[in-house]
Order: sequence, then C-alpha cells, then structure tokens
Amino acid sequence: MKEMPLQVEVKPKSKLKIPSLSKTRKRSDYFWAYCMIAPTMIGLTIFYLWPIIQTIYFSFTEWGAFGQYEWTGLDNYRRMLEDSNLLQSFKNTGIYIVFTVPIGIFLSILIAVLLNQKIKGKSVYRTLYFLPVITMPAAIAMVWRWLYNSDYGLLNYLLSIFGIKGPQWVSDPKIALYSIIVVAIWSGLGYNMVIFLSGLQGIPRSYYEAAEIDGAGPVKVFFKITLPLLSPVIFFVTIMSFIGAFQVFDLIFMMIGKSSTALENTQSIVYLFYQHAFVLNDKGYAAAIAVLLLIIILIITAIQMVLQKKWVHYD
Amino acid sequence: MEKARHHITSKTILIHLILIVGALAMVFPFIWMLLTSLKTYAESIHVPPVIVPKHFQWVNYKDVFDLLPFFKFMFNTLIITVIRTIGQLLLCSLAAYAFARIEFPGRNILFLIALSVLMVPGQVFLLPQYMIMVKLGWLNTLQAVVVPGLFSAFGTFLLRQFFMGLPKELEEAARLDGCNHFQIYWKIMLPLAKPGLVALGIFTTLWSWNELMWPMIVNSSPESMTLSVGLSSLQGQYLTNYPVLMAGSFLAILPMLILFMILQKQFIEGIAVTGSK
Amino acid sequence: MKKWLVLLLTLALGLLGLAGCGSSGTSGDAKDGKVEITYGFWDKKQVPAVDEIIKLFNEKYPNIKVKTELTPYAQYFQKLETAATGGALPDVLWMNGPHIVQYAEGKVIVPLSDLASKDNYSLDNYPKSLVDLYTVDGKLYGIPKDFDTTGLWYNKKIFDEAGIPYPDNTWDWNKLKEVAKKLTNKNKGVYGFAALMGNQGGYYDFIWQNGGHIISEDGKSVGFDQPEAIEALKYNISFIKEGLSPTQAQMTETAPSELFSSGKIAMMFDGPWMVPEYKKNPDLNVAVVPKGKQRAVSIHGLANVIAANTKHKDAAWKFVQFLGSKEAAEVYAKTGTVIPAYNGTQDAWLKAVPNLNLQAFIDGVDYSVPLPSVKNTGEIWQYETDILKKAWSNEESVEDAAKELTKKADEALAKN
Repeated sequence: MKEMPLQVEVKPKSKLKIPSLSKTRKRSDYFWAYCMIAPTMIGLTIFYLWPIIQTIYFSFTEWGAFGQYEWTGLDNYRRMLEDSNLLQSFKNTGIYIVFTVPIGIFLSILIAVLLNQKIKGKSVYRTLYFLPVITMPAAIAMVWRWLYNSDYGLLNYLLSIFGIKGPQWVSDPKIALYSIIVVAIWSGLGYNMVIFLSGLQGIPRSYYEAAEIDGAGPVKVFFKITLPLLSPVIFFVTIMSFIGAFQVFDLIFMMIGKSSTALENTQSIVYLFYQHAFVLNDKGYAAAIAVLLLIIILIITAIQMVLQKKWVHYD
Repeated sequence: MEKARHHITSKTILIHLILIVGALAMVFPFIWMLLTSLKTYAESIHVPPVIVPKHFQWVNYKDVFDLLPFFKFMFNTLIITVIRTIGQLLLCSLAAYAFARIEFPGRNILFLIALSVLMVPGQVFLLPQYMIMVKLGWLNTLQAVVVPGLFSAFGTFLLRQFFMGLPKELEEAARLDGCNHFQIYWKIMLPLAKPGLVALGIFTTLWSWNELMWPMIVNSSPESMTLSVGLSSLQGQYLTNYPVLMAGSFLAILPMLILFMILQKQFIEGIAVTGSK
Repeated sequence: MKKWLVLLLTLALGLLGLAGCGSSGTSGDAKDGKVEITYGFWDKKQVPAVDEIIKLFNEKYPNIKVKTELTPYAQYFQKLETAATGGALPDVLWMNGPHIVQYAEGKVIVPLSDLASKDNYSLDNYPKSLVDLYTVDGKLYGIPKDFDTTGLWYNKKIFDEAGIPYPDNTWDWNKLKEVAKKLTNKNKGVYGFAALMGNQGGYYDFIWQNGGHIISEDGKSVGFDQPEAIEALKYNISFIKEGLSPTQAQMTETAPSELFSSGKIAMMFDGPWMVPEYKKNPDLNVAVVPKGKQRAVSIHGLANVIAANTKHKDAAWKFVQFLGSKEAAEVYAKTGTVIPAYNGTQDAWLKAVPNLNLQAFIDGVDYSVPLPSVKNTGEIWQYETDILKKAWSNEESVEDAAKELTKKADEALAKN
C-alpha cells in the first residue's frame, strides 16, 4: 500500500525511445486503452459511482409501501440525532472495534512470530489456523450459537463442572456483544496471521544476525527490530481491520435473533441499516445511515493518510 | 551457521504448546459441529452433553436436503463464484494493464475515480443496486448477484500494482515485433502477473462463496439462494433444532473446505499477497 | 486474437444463459400451451398436503403447472414486500389478516369479487368472519383457506408421573398456575408452562379472557394500557417470574415447541398447525384453553390471493378456486394438517388424528375473537415485539412497557 492513490505517477521515460512517436501509434494506444478500461469503468459507474449519488439523494426522501417515495429534505438527518437506537448501535460498533481490532492483531502477530521460528509442522499449524477464515460467517455463527447456548451448550457445561453457573452468552444484553467479539477474533485470526507471516518473512535475516552478534535477547529483538520493520504491515492490517469491523453485520445477524433481548445492545450500525432498508422499509432513513457511514469512513481514511506519514517506518 | 535444526529446547516446547492450544481452539468448533450434526435432538439437549452420539443420525443430513434444495444452493453458489472470479480476473486485469502500461489522456483522473470506490463503505451502494435489480426484473436471479461483482476497484488496483512492476523493455520489444496492446497484454503481461491473478482469484472466490448480505437481499426464493442465505433460511425453518442446523452448516462449508485442502498453498499465499500490496 | 474472442464470447453467452434460465419471479410459458404459475407460502409442515392438492388440481387441469415457493415465515412478508415492489410476486400466495389491508390498498393483489361472481363462485361455503376478514373496501381479495384457534397442548407423561389429572374445561387461570407449579421440576429441567411472548395464541388471548381489548371499536386507540390488559400481561409474565416457565432469553435460544416435543415443557398454548408435528409424539395431547373472567381465544385464518403482477390471471384464478374447493379442504382435513375453512369439512379433520383431542380447537370457535387487522398492523406488531420483550425479560415493568407500546401504537393508528 505504499503507492497510495494520491501519488501521481511520473511518466516513465522509455529506454528505447523511438525518435518520432507516430500519431497512428498514439491513436492506437488510446483506442486500446479506452477499450480495455471500458468494461470495468462502465460497470463501476453503473453499479458503484452512480449509486453513491443515488444513495445521497435517497437520504433526503421517505419511503412508503411498495416502493413509493417522496422528498423530505433533512428530516432523516434530524431523526438520526434523536434516534437512541442509532446512538446505541454506534456504541455497540465502537465497543466491537475497540476489542476486536487490537486483541485480534496482537494475537495474530503473536502466532505469526511463533510460526516464524524454527519449528516443525509449520504448514499444519498454518492450515489449522486458517480454517475459520475459509468458513462462511453463517456457519460460524451457527456453531458458536450452539456452543454458547445457555442451557444445552458445551461452554456452560464445562463451566458447570467447575461449579460455575455460566451466563447467557448470547441472550444477556450485557454480555452478548463480547461473546460475538470472541467469535470475531477467532474467525479473523488466521487471515491477519498469514499477512503478518508474509511480512515477517520479508524482514532480511541480516538484521537478526546483527542483533544476535550484539547479544540482544528475543524480547529486545522483537521490540527494536521486528515491530518497527513490521510497522507498514501492522498499519495496513489495522486500517483494514478497523474498516472491516466498522461494517460488521453477518455475525450479529446470524447470532442474535430478532426477538432477542440482547438485540439493542448488539446491533451494529450496518445491522440497523439493514433493518431500516429491508425489514422496516424505511429506505430513506437507511440511506441516511449509509451516508453517515460514508462520511465517517472518509474521515478515518483521511486520518490514516496523515498518520501514515508520521508513524510508519519505511527503509 | 548451522544450528541443529531439530534441537528440542524448552523454548521450542513452549512455542509448540502455545500453538497447539491455539490450533485446538481453532479446530474444536468444527469437530463439535460434526458431532452435533449426527445426534438426535434429544441427545443434543441432554445434560450432561452427549459427546459422541450413540447412533450416527445421518437422517439429519437427509432432512436438510428434504426441506431445502441444498444441491441447488451449492450449484448457485458455484456458478456465482466461478463467473464472478473469472469475470473479475478478466475485466480487472484488462483495465489494470491499461492504467499501468498505456499513457492516455485522463488516465490518472479515471483511475482516481475508480479508486474512490474503495473508500466508500459497501452499504452506500446497496439500495441503488437493489433498485436496479428491481427495475431490471432481476430479483431472484443469479445474475443479480453476479453482475455487480464483476467490476472491482480493488481488483483493478491490485493488478495495476503488479503490472507496474514489470519491466518496460518487454513491451518495447514486443512493440517492435508489431504486437498491439491486446496481444502484449494477453501473451506477455498476463502470464507474468500470475501471482497477482492467483491472489485476486482466491480473494474473489472466498468472498463470493461466503457473502451473505447482498445475496440475501436480492435472492429470497429457495430456487436462487446461495449457501450462506440458505443456511440463514434453514435457521428460520428449523428454529433451534441444532443437529439439523449443524448438518446444514457442515454441508455448506464442505466444498470450500475440500477446495482449501487441495489448494492450501495457493490460498495462503494469495491472501498474503493481497495484504502486502 | 482468436483466443480472447472465444473467451469473451463464452463469458457473454454464459451471462445470457443465466439471464435466460434464471427467470424472474412469475411464470414462464413452455411451448406446448402449458402454463406455469408459482405458489408462494410458508410452513414446511403443510408441504405434503399442498403437493397432494396440486396433484389433484393437475388431474383437472393438466396444462397448468404449479411451482411451489416455500419461504420461512420469518422472511415471508419481508420477501413479499420486496417482490411486490419489483412486480415479482408469486402468482398465487398465502395472505394473512395482519397484512391483507396493506396489500389490498397497495393494489399489489387482485380483487376477486368480479371473478367470483362471473364464475358463480359461492362464498357461502366459508365462515362469514373469514370472508369479512379478507374483504377490503367492499371487495373480496382472498379465498379463505383455513382457520385456527388456540389450544392448551400438554404432555400426558409429565402429568401421569405427577399423578395430576389432565386439563379439562373446568380449568381457569388459577388452576393453570397451580398445576404449572406442581409440574415444574428444576432438577429434571422441566417447566410447567411456557409463557411465550406471542400475540396470537398468547397475550391477546389472555387480554380478551380478562375482558380487555386490543384495538378499540373506533379503530383509533389500542387497549394495552387498560387495567384489564395490564393484569393479563402480568399474569402471562408471572409464570416466568415464578420460575414456572423458561425465561425469554432461554426461549429465544431454544424454541419452546422443540422443548415441548422433547418433554421439557408440560403445557403451552399453540395452534392446530402444530398437529402434523406433535402427532408424532404419543405423549402429547390438547385441551381447551383455561378461562379467565370469560372464555376467549384468537381466531385467524389464511387466504389464497392472486398477485397483481401475474401474467396468468386465468390460470391463477382456476388454481385459487381449486384451493378453496371442498376437495382441497378434504386433503387438509384428512391429513390433519390444518382446519380447512370450507364449511362441513372440519369433521374429517377431527377424525384425522383420533388420539388427539382436536375438538378443543373447534370448541374454541364459539368464543373466538378475530385477530385485529388494520392497514399498519405490521407496524404495530413490530412495536409489540420490540417493547413487550423488555417486559418479558424483566427489563421494564409491565406498566411502563404497556404505556410505551400504547403511545407508539396510537401514533401508528393515527396515520390511517
């Protein structure tokens, strides 16, 4: 991600420069270029770029039954300010991010570092850790809901052996979100681990060898060499995880039932969007929520670009 | 500097210990899923839990197929995944090549516009995309899921990185031989960008297979559902009959599991590549 | 050059092929004059009966092929709303009381009155209350299919083990509570009575039994905050409070109907649609619902309607007529699937499952109250779920929840 979009590419000078770049060649170039980008650009415009404008438009409307809508100006935005459900969903999403991202990254780095050592069976471990990543969130949610079941789930049974009465992992409003966070960390670990592993392998051995000669212990090596050199990757993963966590939906949708008492305390912003858009048929309001999400992510991206210059080491 | 590679130190044991604990935590839910899928409902709610069922209830799997057309789900998901992946590989690489290797007016602006899509959260596209599907009459069809997924700013960006890294001399040499851009793209650049293509392919395959929200929104008829959506609808029918739900879940993840076992290396390398770019 | 052309063509053809075979919601015509219509419904328990009815229908009309579309209830109306917006509703579909007004006034289903009078289709064959339910603004929109009331399902084995006589028609609220206490056995994980949070066959019934009302006569206000309703809600929730029922959280995690089938719940209210499921368990039977200040149970019935976007109105109407015929009713009756609406066929239903006291449901008709139905019933039901669950899980007092619900529901009613 070094070449971030804002960097304008300098025209490379061709080494074998042909004295006169003929007009026909240029025209042929342009023809091919436009043809080649056409499918993607047209597709992106129809399905992505134009929809951005449409969503912004819809955010100023209110929808009735069966697809009729009318302009209502800033009503939806005013409503957002008073919507306690929305505020709560922000809190929920915030808690989700605060726990999932740092803990997840820490664990992934840990496992990646361990796997980077000289040990046997690396590929077996890698495969096992990657299993949750290739599993669909719908299935993951199902099996974890079952493990978490208050009366018949395995987790509470194991706790009962030690005389502890297990809580209602997915029904207790105070705990449900954290139960989901555990599942999120569990299922994302392998993905980040693989990226970190590849990053670790990109660190030249010479650094480690030099440190060894200097007599540095493993902890010092980790903090003074590994971490700094890994920082571009850590930065990238953090941002991606953050943005991903911000948009959490699948897990919550599958693990928390519509009539569950824990719903208000676990709804994410995107879940609320889905509710309003496709269950309550409140599409205008949903569009407003989407616009809100857009603004927030743009701000985060801007912050990211500033931070990147300050914090990330490049050699 | 030759250290005895299989020298078992206490450090190695500690590392293995931690890794094994983690690996068990990773795998255990899958084992439990399989075991539960073979129990009767009574066994599954028995306290203390029955670990291994007395008789393997393969009938649970039959129930899944009886109620919902699971084979259809798999077929739908397969078609969607394959077409999306091939489509993206083709379309994104075409555009990426042009953006990377050809100078043409508006190149940078157009690329920036395409890239702006990356900065927008997916939900912003959903409603209008949905309205398009409604207008086209494409609800409950496979193309509703496939078509928007054929175009990817991410894929274009990723592959452009790859193409930019290839030496310009190759191109000039081919030009002298009289090739046009398409031939250069097809015969030279594409084969060289294979790691990038594999990476994008794996990424798109995984994402297509597991996607839930969009397929759920556009396809609510059992005929056109994908596996993820089918699973969620299974939950609606069977409420909390966990053995059947587990059977359904296991069936849903089985194809990707098998694919992964075969192509492990490619999967993991592919993901690593998307991260490092 | 050739290779890419081939590839591109293949891709294009592939997409076109998809566009062809993934045809949109409503029917497609085959070449030989055959017509295909789609039939949308929920409830997997009724699939065998529906299949048989279709088979009989095809004996009369071999050229009309019926494709069924089963969608779980939880997603049914959501999907319909989407489909209706896109003109992709199934040709024939199930409709229920809470939604009929919205769909009729939204003009996404077809009025059947003219079709009926043209074919001399008699509406006398159905209970008047059901015909009225599906008549909006003077026009009939649906042909009644079945009706259901509420019954007190119970587990004989649990009663036998405790030496308690089975429920009968002398039971009242006190008796229900008393027996539930005796049958609750924490050690075995058995609960006396499942206090499900549900309106039909749940708190609506209790409210009516206590003399309360849901929607006032003039349709302008709800009665949740009236003392009768609050008392009824409190009674309903008291089972949870006193440990005689699984908690709301428990009932969300593990469905009571499944717990009931497995002998973990001694008694619960449920409808006749559970017969195909519960008849498999010899320990289960059903009795009339206990009385409060008076007897009352909800009554409701589904109807078959025709979508406005159908391309085969004729075929759809023929199918709907058949669905409402005595023949179809008898299929439902003899398989014990649901109580058919067609007058006189209920006896066959009663006899279908002799070891179950199905008479309890028929008795209920005498003192039944129809489910209230207004244009935004769906909205009001959503409020009920969102707000009452707080009372059920003891997060809010019943009075507060009832007040909040009344406020929101009254606002919704004002929009009509």
